[in-house]
Amino acid sequence: MTYAPETSSAKAGRELTTRQRESLLSAYRTEIAIAFAIALVALAVGSQVPQALSWGNFANITQAGAPLIIMSLGVLLVVITGGIDLSVGSVFSLTGMVTAQAMAQGLGGVGAALAGLSVGLVFGSINGFLVTVVGLAPFVVTLITFAVAGSLAFIVTNGRSMPIGDPDFWLLNSGSLVPGIPNYILFCLVLLIAIEFFLKKMVAGRWFYAVGSSSTAAYLLGIPVKRTKFMAYVASSLLASFSGLLTISYILNAESTAGSSLMLQAIAAVVIGGASLLGGTGTAVGAVLGALMITVIQNGVNLIGINSFWQGSVTGFAILVAVLIDRFGKSRRSRH
Amino acid sequence: MSHQSQPVLSVRGLTKSYGATSVLKGVDFSVARGEVHALLGGNGAGKSTMIRIITGLAAKDAGDIAFHDAAGNLLSEADGRSKVAVVHQELALLPHLTVAENIVLPQLTSGFGLFDRKRSWRLAHDALCLIDPEFADTSLHRLVGDLSLHQGQMVEIARALSFGAELLLLDEPTGNLTSAETQRLFDVLRRLTTENGLAVVFVSHRMKEIRQIANVCTIIRDGRTVVDCVATESLSDTAIVEKMGQITARQTENGSVSHVTAKNANTADDTLVIRDADMEVRLAPGTVLGVAGAPAGPLALISALVGAAKARRWMVARSGWPEAFTSPRQAARNGAGFITGDRAHKGILANLPIIDNVMASRRIVRGVWFTNSRERTECLDLVQSLKIKAASIWDLPDTLSGGTQQKLLLARWLGLPSRLLVLEEPTRGVDIGTKKEIYQLIRRMAASGTIIVWWSTENAELLEVCDRVVAFDTEGRCAGVVDKQDLSEDALANMTGMAA
Repeated sequence: MTYAPETSSAKAGRELTTRQRESLLSAYRTEIAIAFAIALVALAVGSQVPQALSWGNFANITQAGAPLIIMSLGVLLVVITGGIDLSVGSVFSLTGMVTAQAMAQGLGGVGAALAGLSVGLVFGSINGFLVTVVGLAPFVVTLITFAVAGSLAFIVTNGRSMPIGDPDFWLLNSGSLVPGIPNYILFCLVLLIAIEFFLKKMVAGRWFYAVGSSSTAAYLLGIPVKRTKFMAYVASSLLASFSGLLTISYILNAESTAGSSLMLQAIAAVVIGGASLLGGTGTAVGAVLGALMITVIQNGVNLIGINSFWQGSVTGFAILVAVLIDRFGKSRRSRH
Repeated sequence: MSHQSQPVLSVRGLTKSYGATSVLKGVDFSVARGEVHALLGGNGAGKSTMIRIITGLAAKDAGDIAFHDAAGNLLSEADGRSKVAVVHQELALLPHLTVAENIVLPQLTSGFGLFDRKRSWRLAHDALCLIDPEFADTSLHRLVGDLSLHQGQMVEIARALSFGAELLLLDEPTGNLTSAETQRLFDVLRRLTTENGLAVVFVSHRMKEIRQIANVCTIIRDGRTVVDCVATESLSDTAIVEKMGQITARQTENGSVSHVTAKNANTADDTLVIRDADMEVRLAPGTVLGVAGAPAGPLALISALVGAAKARRWMVARSGWPEAFTSPRQAARNGAGFITGDRAHKGILANLPIIDNVMASRRIVRGVWFTNSRERTECLDLVQSLKIKAASIWDLPDTLSGGTQQKLLLARWLGLPSRLLVLEEPTRGVDIGTKKEIYQLIRRMAASGTIIVWWSTENAELLEVCDRVVAFDTEGRCAGVVDKQDLSEDALANMTGMAA
């Protein structure tokens, strides 16, 4: 982080006209730092267990991490607007149960998947409606839908786990729409690029930051605050749903509690990625790297053979380091 | 007690830089007991930074800061700092606690961590009595959230007195006050300095007030002291402006701020009619309508104009517009712009770079989908034409001084073809040179046919800029509409009930 004052001094010296374009290095400082941190963790694990650095393990990490990456991208959108989505884990589980049950009732793979995604659409709309129109606090609203969706996930099959009926359903996760690239990587990449482009280059994306920065200021400016927030909650739930589909397509079995640990991990990923829970900051690249960091840590803990109960502590420590870096990086940048 | 010229604080050769930007390049500043000391300087001259260093919020690079006690002995920096209190324009009070609690909470040390109610009430009452005995008797147990801004300031000053402050730093304390409240504040300050030997540092951009209250002034320019502790009377207004480094040529230019009337062919159709039970104003394109008075009335009118609140009382009519705007968004899309007076909470988007802050209104009015490189050029042009000092348009707004942030807000609507522009105190916290620039800019926008509605608590400013003024009394009722030829400060003061 020591280079921060250097860049600002270089800026001050130059004429404003020459600074038309934002340099990628300064725009993605936090993300570059996280990427280095991930590499460090990976190397540290590799020094203990050499096969951790193999191609096979890399495939493992991305496959295991894809659902978390996609869910984190959704949570990020809500966090940027200054909200929080606690319901993603429950929506993830319920999507799996509804999809599996729909197949058991004789629906084809595509129809069942659409039924699953409709869970995300419905719960996202409920969250968005209660937050924007009714005006309830996001924490309370998504705590309610977290509880409701979580209990519905048990009710669908009366608590039993449910195998996937469509024999071709694995293709969603492990097939290759683009030859040579497995779908789970393709989905992560496409969503990452699409969301980063939306947030950085589209006016509607800039509004996400504006709303999170100050929703009063945004409202008085004429920014559609309610529409922006509503979109964020719907996108978050839809992405949680989609990541639920990817997961059952991978393990070919749906369980009522599948997503219960994911909500906290997704929030952690977003925070590690440099977003502030107060809103107004965060990038898609950061959220994806945050999710990768958590996955690499979990993978490392397993490989080294540490008791897996330690996973939470290690992740907690990673969050602490990430927010500390972010905090001291920022205080250098601004005058006040 | 008479004036004592013992120093309370003396600062010598203070320097401070952020990265390669040096903000203070060797400032000298000293304050003596019993004086009201005006600290003057343009936006970004380094006033705020110096205050932050004095109060310990920022670390100095080099230089000496010395605090002295009543006997003239040198105090340690920590002891000295405990005798300094700052009152900002944005008050640092807890709205859900009572006046008494706000005053004594910072120093409650009574045994076992229990709240000694009687003792704390007495402490708070004593402190408030120094300021206003009547207020002390009636308001000790009111919630601070229910107080007016002026009363809140009194509470902050009382808190400072109760912990034994000997130096009071007031950072633009009159920005949100009506003239009458300002006078009451000045009375209190005069009494505290002459009777209690308090030292007061007063930061303001309002020349008239500085003349009224300050006996001594120091002027800072570009991080250096250019005038050190000189009696205020010995300097003329022009001399002060000159010392602050503002171009005086513009002053003469401003004397004849060009009152060009718009030459729109269809002026008759494009009249804006504002009406309530008591009054009706018809505004032709290019008119600058001033709004005078305590916040209640003007704020209600303004939110009705820009759709920020339901217009129960006001009727606003214009061809092509709906009966009332239902949201600021609808207003903006119909070419009715709004620049808020609450820069920190309702204006600046603090997490977004300068470019997003400046281009926000344009993006809404134009309904564009993507940001692009044309936008960058446009933003650079705006930033440069407003002389906004920024290293890069990708910097966050909090790297800018308060007055520069105000320019960012103005830039949002500057040059956008608009039919109405509503401004809340656009020159608050802005130095004199910039003020004149803003007057010019607004006049130019009016000349292109935009109707301007301008609320200001500074009546002199309304006289200078407006074609017409609608005045509200302290109850928020409309007290009348005055045309330019009948305008005078006295008339406005009478109508708004804020006579000194």
